[in-house]
Amino acid sequence: MFLWTSVIPFLVVGLLWLLIRHALRQPLWAEASSRIKKNRMALVALTIICAYGGVAFVDAVSWKDDKNSPAKSVLDRVFAKMPVEETYSAPMAKTTTGVPHPKPLEGKHLFGTDGNGRDVLYQTLRGCKTALIIGGLTTLISLPLALLLGMLAGYYGKLVDDGIQYLYTVLDSIPNILLLVTLLMVLGNGLDKICLALGITTWVGLCRLVRGETLKHRDREYVRAAKSLGVSDFRILTRHILPNLLPTVIITVTLGLSGLILSEAILSYLSLGVTNETGSWGNMIDAARVELAREPVLWWNLLAASSALFVLVWAFNVFGDAIRDAIDPRLRS
Amino acid sequence: MSEVPVLLQGETEKRLRFIRFVRMARFRTSLWSALVCLGLSLPALQGCGNNPYPKSDARRAIHYRILAEDPKTLDPTVSYTNTEAYVVDVIYPSFFQYNYLKIDPVELEPNLGAEMPTREDYVFEAEEDGQKVRKTGEVWTFRIREDLRFQDDPCFEGGKGRKVTAHDFIYSFKRMGDPAMHSPVLGFVQDKIIGMQEYVEYNRKRLDDKQSGDYAFPIKGLQVDPQNPHVFRIFLNQKYPQLKYLMAMHFTTPIPREAVEKYGEDFKTHPVGCGPYMMKEYKRRRSLTLVKNPNYYPDFYPSEGMPGDAEAGLLADAGKQLPLLDEVHFTISRETVTAWNLFIQGYLDSAAVNRDNFQQVVANTGSGLSEEMVRKGLVLREAAGMSIFYYAFNMDDPVVGGNGEKQKKLRKAISKSIDNQTYIDLFLIGLGVPAESPLPPQLEGYDPDYVNPNNTFDLEEAKRLLAEAGYPNGINEKTGDRLTLYFDNGAGNATARQMVDFVVRSIERLGIDVQSRTSRPNVWQDKVRKGEFQFISYGWLADYPDPENFLFLFYGPNVRPAPNYANYQNKRYDRLFEQMRAMDESPERTAIIHEMRDILAEDSPWHYTFHQVSWGLYQPWLKNVKTHPVSKDVTKYYNIDTEKRAQLWSEWNRPNHWPWILTLAAFVGALIPAANVVKRRRNRRIRKGPGRKA
Amino acid sequence: MLRYVLRRLLYAVPIILGVALLTFLLFYSTSTPEQMAVRGLSAKNPTQDQIQAWIVQHGYDKSKSEQFKKHVGEMFLFRFGKSDITGESIGARIREGALPSALVAGLIFSGSVFAGIVLALVAAYYRGTYMDRLITLTCVLLMSIVSIVYIIVGQYTLSKVLKLFPVAGFADGLEAWKFVMLPFIVGVVSGLGRSVRLYRTFMLEEMNQDYVRTARAKGVGEKSILFKHVLKNAMIPIITSVVLSIPFIFLGNLLVESFFGIPGLGGMMVDAITNQDFAVVRAMVFLGTLLYIVGAILTDVCYALVDPRVRLE
Repeated sequence: MFLWTSVIPFLVVGLLWLLIRHALRQPLWAEASSRIKKNRMALVALTIICAYGGVAFVDAVSWKDDKNSPAKSVLDRVFAKMPVEETYSAPMAKTTTGVPHPKPLEGKHLFGTDGNGRDVLYQTLRGCKTALIIGGLTTLISLPLALLLGMLAGYYGKLVDDGIQYLYTVLDSIPNILLLVTLLMVLGNGLDKICLALGITTWVGLCRLVRGETLKHRDREYVRAAKSLGVSDFRILTRHILPNLLPTVIITVTLGLSGLILSEAILSYLSLGVTNETGSWGNMIDAARVELAREPVLWWNLLAASSALFVLVWAFNVFGDAIRDAIDPRLRS
Repeated sequence: MSEVPVLLQGETEKRLRFIRFVRMARFRTSLWSALVCLGLSLPALQGCGNNPYPKSDARRAIHYRILAEDPKTLDPTVSYTNTEAYVVDVIYPSFFQYNYLKIDPVELEPNLGAEMPTREDYVFEAEEDGQKVRKTGEVWTFRIREDLRFQDDPCFEGGKGRKVTAHDFIYSFKRMGDPAMHSPVLGFVQDKIIGMQEYVEYNRKRLDDKQSGDYAFPIKGLQVDPQNPHVFRIFLNQKYPQLKYLMAMHFTTPIPREAVEKYGEDFKTHPVGCGPYMMKEYKRRRSLTLVKNPNYYPDFYPSEGMPGDAEAGLLADAGKQLPLLDEVHFTISRETVTAWNLFIQGYLDSAAVNRDNFQQVVANTGSGLSEEMVRKGLVLREAAGMSIFYYAFNMDDPVVGGNGEKQKKLRKAISKSIDNQTYIDLFLIGLGVPAESPLPPQLEGYDPDYVNPNNTFDLEEAKRLLAEAGYPNGINEKTGDRLTLYFDNGAGNATARQMVDFVVRSIERLGIDVQSRTSRPNVWQDKVRKGEFQFISYGWLADYPDPENFLFLFYGPNVRPAPNYANYQNKRYDRLFEQMRAMDESPERTAIIHEMRDILAEDSPWHYTFHQVSWGLYQPWLKNVKTHPVSKDVTKYYNIDTEKRAQLWSEWNRPNHWPWILTLAAFVGALIPAANVVKRRRNRRIRKGPGRKA
Repeated sequence: MLRYVLRRLLYAVPIILGVALLTFLLFYSTSTPEQMAVRGLSAKNPTQDQIQAWIVQHGYDKSKSEQFKKHVGEMFLFRFGKSDITGESIGARIREGALPSALVAGLIFSGSVFAGIVLALVAAYYRGTYMDRLITLTCVLLMSIVSIVYIIVGQYTLSKVLKLFPVAGFADGLEAWKFVMLPFIVGVVSGLGRSVRLYRTFMLEEMNQDYVRTARAKGVGEKSILFKHVLKNAMIPIITSVVLSIPFIFLGNLLVESFFGIPGLGGMMVDAITNQDFAVVRAMVFLGTLLYIVGAILTDVCYALVDPRVRLE
């Protein structure tokens, strides 16, 4: 049985592909992409991101075998043969550890198993989807909000500007982590709610940026010319100002992605992270607090999760830098 | 400058060489001075290390413990957590205490009391439906020691602690009855002590009018002997054998009225009692220090114990005056990992052992301590604690609740799919007792040989029962849909998440689909109180060692939000409970208890998981350690070998400075070639002249 | 200037009111008074009667608008009242916790600013060499590690394996240093990547300015260009980023404090959040907001002081 949610990853990938193809027709982006192609580090980073995306994709496509069986993703099916042990076991070990009566393992585990005997490699791979959803969905929430309000505030000024500025100054004045925690308490558990809360806390910075940029462009000649030709405000905003904002926005968003992915781990530490069923590097790292205090030290869970997280964030950081350098060489560091 | 005469070039070379020499010299001197500074700071650093306590305390008889969180209150009328009890119980002793060494069965003995109280029948007239009826209750007469004095405190005249009288005991009962205090044990006595109900209602009205409690209002059932201020009587309108346990809890400690009046709201952080220790200092989120109370009455270490105690060295201090230590120092830390690390380094004398760190303690290959622990000389002690951990079904739920035969079978099937022994092995490292009934070991009615037919793990039987319940292989016979259950939990940390996973997986072996729903603690509590769940995991720790304190968890009138969370109702059970409650320990009572246990087994409103074992790890220098299942004032018996501790502290904690010195050296080393590159570049520029960008 | 500051302060009033309203609404939707009462009472199973008494005692039985008015009025007078859960004075607790927080966070903060500037200077001075590349590469690596891992691994290696510092705790006076060192090192290292990268960008931006070229043309040495000209001018953006983070010094570092047992405001806030202590969180959010606004004004004033091109109107 096919699940309708399985269509979403295809849609996302397709949409991304279309967007990139469309963008590359424009000279600015075409030039940027040719610059990125020359940057070897950026290509490595991009490959890594794509690899993570691939794992997430494979994990997102799922279906039920029959009405009464649970939905399983492709990733689940790949690892279906991997037996679940009783409890912790070291990488490639033959028995479990940390219990009075160690039992022989039923399978081989490259990265060992966690407290519930689940394969750490499998758990780590499952974290890819969560991390990318947190990055992507949050951006999908905060970006339109920031663009809309920022452009409105910058373009119309006066009362609209005052109102929107007031709104985001109030939000900004509350220490970020407190706002996040409070929102999560109101909204409850779940990945979607974490994304919503992160979106509400992160749109402010972007909105401020968009407003400033819009303000700059509002008085440029091309906008005035369009206005005097009687072009509607909506058209000016979407057709003239928006494309000019995009470079700055894309740079900020790409560089912000790594921060979003990292915040999942911090939320897990405050026990506000995702629930049990969702694969999560944050929960794995949180478990390591206790595992590191044990003897023998149970390091594999921490190592696997934090290196997976590290590589992805590193890739986003490097790629973000590359995009920035490619789009706006003045900012090159 | 590009026109520098060729003649001068040699000159420039020389000057440049000179400048380079001076620079090098400067660089060298700075390098040397840095090295000298480093060398000088090394001995200073040797002095530091990971000891969190002042150096001067290294050889004092101070017992170091951990407190898992800031005490919410140290007011003996209100405090109700185990954490606080280790502080409150040694500041505020009660009429009774539990004998420290005789723990199986536990034994009450007078503490502030001069002798065991006497109990007599008490006949009184009560009004029932407008008619006067004669009823039989009982009266308890308590005689307290005459050499009791409160600790010294500015609230007393001249700062000297005054004598303790029976009035101070009555005063604490009156505080208990003040609704503004929210005393957790008021429910125990409110309907039993004659006149208490009226007193509570009177003060409740005052609270609604925003007035403070009036303790002058008399309670008929609490009387001090007019002849002797060291004797008081409690009149009860029914038989209440459990009163003796209440008189061993800190709720009934004598409280000095002066202190309450002087400190008001701050009384809860400024305790004034008559116990072996008194509070010296409390720093929030940091530490709490207790110090020996010089006014404590002559209390002596017991001179007889159970068989084997003498061999274990538990009688070495017999007859010595208590307390044996100068101070008890509590480090306050929420992080279990922190506590564990402190303990491993020797800076805590005992570890608040929990699931998280316990697995490290035990050897990988079997039971007993791990090699590392044995090498350190640590001592592991265990005693079955009085607790029950369970999964409660919501008896009002249309799927798992109800008393129909099919629903019972469904509950039994689920119950039999959970393997308690594996659960205990995984999360408690084998140190728990698989539960067959709500009654923990050491309690009347506990039978080690009893096996509950509907609770013990048996997967095949569980599958059969499930089929009989109408869900063969987890599929609903009628609809053909898979049975989905919701497991509500408040799992906040990694271990709790693992436990949830374990139970979900266990039940899913039957073919049932189990969805875990995790909520924030406050929401979860709310769900439990309101009954918005199918099944939940919960635990109960004994208030006192009487089966009544466990069996009341199923008593009909105690339905939610009272602790009968399952909303279990059974008329016959309720009748037996009322009968049992008023009885003293006897074979007849035990028979009734067994009958109640069997009713529960048949109806299966709970899955019993385990009875916790109160285990502890103790450092080799801590003496007189015996784990008591109930008592919390154990620190007055402890003793410490300070020499041994000081020696082991330095042995276990030699700081290692090399890694950071190497890191620093690597950084400086990496700088030198870079400096050369820049220098070369600059020299090139000087030779070639300016105008070239760097 | 004074007029400017006053005007900015006046602007702050509606913002603080907005923050107060927002936190009020948010916290009301997180827990009902009944839930708070259950958490606040010590009994295992409080009766309905006890819960009602608690609600009356803590004033949660009044209408919402009345409560809001009362709370806001008290906030502006810095009367924070009593904690809902423990009943102690919040003002006293804030005063108690401010010092440890300020000590730890202040040290971490100044340490990372100092180390950041030094390393950024090194990178700028050796720009183009492998040293520069090494530093920028390390920065990206450092930035990619989540702070929790720094904390966990830092405690494990420095305290447990190398036994250099106590695992956690705090003491008064000079004794404090040995407890502060571990959070200090962990805090500085975890923030280093970000700050070095930022400061380096600031410096390189200044290096490309015309005045630097002029100075070079005059024959000014590379060192004095870096220290006299570039550093001075790069300080302007650095100061901005520094002043803006001052409120966070006061609020302390939530994670570091709760993990290393520093009895500061950050840890207090974590406790308050987990206990749903509405009164404490409200007070902390109010103070945080106030400090943020003051910080923002200070930034602008600093700008005007440091950079003569900026004028406050």
